[in-house]
Amino acid sequence: MTSVEFLQWVRGPGLAIASIIFVFGMTLKVLEIFMLGRKKNLAELRSSGVKEGFRTIITRFGAVDRFTTRRTMFTHITGWVFHVGLFVAIFLLTPHIELFKSFLGFGWPALPTAIVDFVTVITLITLLIILFHRITNPVLRYLSVGEDYVVWVLTFLPMLTGYMAYHHLFFPYTWLLGIHILSVCILMALFPFTKLTHAVTLFFSRWYNGYMGGQKGVKQ
Amino acid sequence: MTGTANDSEFRKQLDDLSLAQQRAVGARFVHSVKDLTDDARIDVAIKVAQDSEANNDEIHSAFKSARSAVLDCYTRCGADADWATQASYFVARAASDVVMPEKEISNNNPAWQAAMHSRMARTCAVIDTDTTEEQQETEQQHRILDHFLND
Amino acid sequence: MSEATLERGIKALKEQIDAPVASFFSSCVHCGMCAEACLFYTETGNPKYTPISKVEPMRRLWEQEFTLIGRIKKLLGLSKKITDEELSEWQELVYNSCSMCGRCTMVCPVGNDITYMIRKFREGMSAAGHAPEGLIGATTRAIQIGSPMGVKFPALKAQAGHVEKEVGFEIPFDKVGAEYMLLMSSMEIMNYPEYLGAVARIFHQAGKSWTISSEAFEATNSGIQIGTSDLARELVNRIVEAAEKLKVKTVISPECGHAYTAIRWEGPNLVGHPFSFRVRHILEVLDEFRKDGLLRTEGFEEDKMTFHDPCQLVRRGGVIEQPRNLLNMVAKNFVEMDDHGKMNWCCGAGGGVSANEDAHELKLTAFKRKKAQLDELHVDTLVTACANCRIQLEEGLEVNDMDIPVVGLTEMLAEHLVETDSKQG
Repeated sequence: MTSVEFLQWVRGPGLAIASIIFVFGMTLKVLEIFMLGRKKNLAELRSSGVKEGFRTIITRFGAVDRFTTRRTMFTHITGWVFHVGLFVAIFLLTPHIELFKSFLGFGWPALPTAIVDFVTVITLITLLIILFHRITNPVLRYLSVGEDYVVWVLTFLPMLTGYMAYHHLFFPYTWLLGIHILSVCILMALFPFTKLTHAVTLFFSRWYNGYMGGQKGVKQ
Repeated sequence: MTGTANDSEFRKQLDDLSLAQQRAVGARFVHSVKDLTDDARIDVAIKVAQDSEANNDEIHSAFKSARSAVLDCYTRCGADADWATQASYFVARAASDVVMPEKEISNNNPAWQAAMHSRMARTCAVIDTDTTEEQQETEQQHRILDHFLND
Repeated sequence: MSEATLERGIKALKEQIDAPVASFFSSCVHCGMCAEACLFYTETGNPKYTPISKVEPMRRLWEQEFTLIGRIKKLLGLSKKITDEELSEWQELVYNSCSMCGRCTMVCPVGNDITYMIRKFREGMSAAGHAPEGLIGATTRAIQIGSPMGVKFPALKAQAGHVEKEVGFEIPFDKVGAEYMLLMSSMEIMNYPEYLGAVARIFHQAGKSWTISSEAFEATNSGIQIGTSDLARELVNRIVEAAEKLKVKTVISPECGHAYTAIRWEGPNLVGHPFSFRVRHILEVLDEFRKDGLLRTEGFEEDKMTFHDPCQLVRRGGVIEQPRNLLNMVAKNFVEMDDHGKMNWCCGAGGGVSANEDAHELKLTAFKRKKAQLDELHVDTLVTACANCRIQLEEGLEVNDMDIPVVGLTEMLAEHLVETDSKQG
C-alpha cells in the first residue's frame, strides 16, 4: 500500500466505518442509560427540579466551595486548558472546518492557524502534565485503571499526529496525514465504549444531580 | 412539712437562693443519686459545688471533668440502650450543672437543673420496672431543700 | 436480615441500578476531585477513601449486566465476578468511611451523585450480609422494639413527666385532631430530654395544637442507613398510620439529620404513595412560626457563635435559610464557617457511622476537619440541629481539648421565648 492509497482509505472507507461505529455506539450508549428508567419521586417537592437540572449543567463548569476548590485547583486548571485546547484544535482549524462543511453543508469562521498551532502545543504539554499527575498523585494512581491510560493515548495521538503533519515532522506528509486521520478513526470507534462517553453523558449526569437536588430545594 | 410541698413551690425556693447556695443544695441532690454511678469525677464536682470558697478555676476544672464524665457514658446513636449507664449519664449531667461556670448558666438555675437531672437518673435506673422510686427521689429532694433552708 | 447471601445481594443491587446510576458510571473519568471533598480522605490521606471507588463493585455489576461491552466481556470470561470476599472488604468503605454527607456529589465535575449510589450500594451490601453489626443491631431493635436504641414508650413517658414539671403543663399524647405530630429521635429521649421541653414551650407560646403518638414517636430510621428498604418502609409505615389515625396536618421531624431524609424524602417513595400530611423539620416549623409572628423572643446571646449544618438538612434536604433566620433572632454575634450551608463539612458521624462501633476511631479522625473549621473562627458556642451531630461534636471537642459548648438551636430559641403568664415555676 502506498501512502496515497493509505490516505485515501482512511479518509474514505476508514472514516466512514469509524463514523458509523461512533453513531451506532453512542446511540446504544444513550439507550443503555435511559432504558433503565427511574422511579417517579413521590415526596412533596419544593420544585420540579427541571430548572436546577439545567442550572447544574452550567454551574458544574466551575467550582463550588473553597476548601475543595483550593485542593483541586491543579485538576481544574489543567482540565480546562486541555479541554479548551481540544475544542479549538478540533473545531476551529481551517482544514477541519472544511471537512465539517463537506458533511454538514455549512462552515464557521476559523482561528488563524498560528494560534491553533500554539494552542495545540499547550494542549500537548498539558496532556503530558496530566499523565504525569495521574502516575504520581496517590489518589489518581489508586483510581486509575488501564482504560484511563488507553483513553489518554486515544486523545493524545490525534493531537500529536496532527501537529506533526502540519509541521511535516520526521515523516512524509502524506503518511503523517493518513496516520493522523487513522488515529481520529480509532478515537471515534472506541469513543462509545470507553469513558470518553463522558463528553456526552456528563450532561445527563449533571442534569440528574441538579434535578434530584432541586426537588429537595438544594440550589446549585 | 414546711414550704416545699409541691414542685412549683420547690422551684420558687430554689430560685430565691444565691448562686453559691444553688450550687450547694444542688450538690446535695447529686449526692442523693450518687449510688447510681461509681465515677470519682462526680465526687469532685459535689465537693467543689459545696465549697463556698471555691474559685473560678476550681469550678471550671470540676466542670470540665464532669463534662467528660457525661461524654463517657452517653448512649451512642443507634446503640442498644443500657439504662444503668444512662443513669450515670444523668448523674454526671446533674454534677456538671452544679459546677457550671457562671457565664454558661444563662438563665438556668443550677439547683433546679441538677434536681431534674437527678430525677432522670433515678428514672433511668428503674425504667424497666414499675416502681415509685422516682417519686421518692422527688420527695427526697424536697426534704434535702428543707434541711438546707433550716441549717 | 436472615438468609443474607451473595446471590440475594447481587439481585438487590441489580434492582437498584437505574438511569442516573448508569449515567454517573458512564461519566466518571477518575479525576479524583471527589476525594478532596470527602473528610474521610482529607483527614486520613488514604486514597482508598476516594468516594467514587467506594462503589467500584457496583460499577462492575452495572458494566457486566447493563452494557454491551460488559456483556461481551462476561461471555468471554474476561470480567471479574463480585465475590463475598470483595464485598466483605468493601464493608469498611461503604459504611465506616461514608456518612452519606453528599459533599462529593456537590463537587463532581461531571455531576455524579455518588451519595445516591452509596445509598443504593448499601441495599446490596446488607442483602449480601455485609452490613456492620452495630447497624444490624440498631435495625433489628427498631423493628422489634420501635427504636434503634431500644427506647420503649414508658421511657419517653417518664422523660415527658420530668419535662411536664419543668414547663408546668401537660405533654399531649395521642390527641386526635392535633395540627402537628411531633416525632423524636431516641437520642433526644435518652440524652437530650431538654429538646422536648423546648418544643413544648414554643408550641405553648405559639398556641398551636400538637401531639406525640404513643405508637410512633421514633423518627430515626436505621433501615435507610443500613440499606434495607423493606425495613425502612415498615418504619415509615408506622408513622404514616399514626399520623392518619391522629388526623394531623403536619408531622415534625426532630433535630436529627437522617430522620428527615427518611421521612421527608424517602418516606413516600418507600411506601409507594404520597402522604396525606405534610412533613417538616422542626426548624422549618419554627421558621414558619417566626414568619407568622408566633415565635416571639427577647434578648440576645452575646457570645460569638457559629452553626454546624447537619448534612441531611442542607445538602440532602434543602433546609438552609431557616436555621439562619432563627439564629439571627437570638444571636448578635453569629458567624459562618468558611464552607457552610449546602457546602458545610460533615461532623463525621452521620449516615450510620455513629451506630457502627468499627468506625469509632475513624469518625474521630474525620472530626479534625470540623476542628480545623472551628479553629479558624474562635467561637464561644457551637449551635447545631441534630442530636447525632451534637454528640459527635461534643465528643470531638472533648477529645481535642476544645472548650466550646454545643447547644441545640431549638433549645436556644426556647430560652429566649418572651415569658408568658402561663409559664409556671
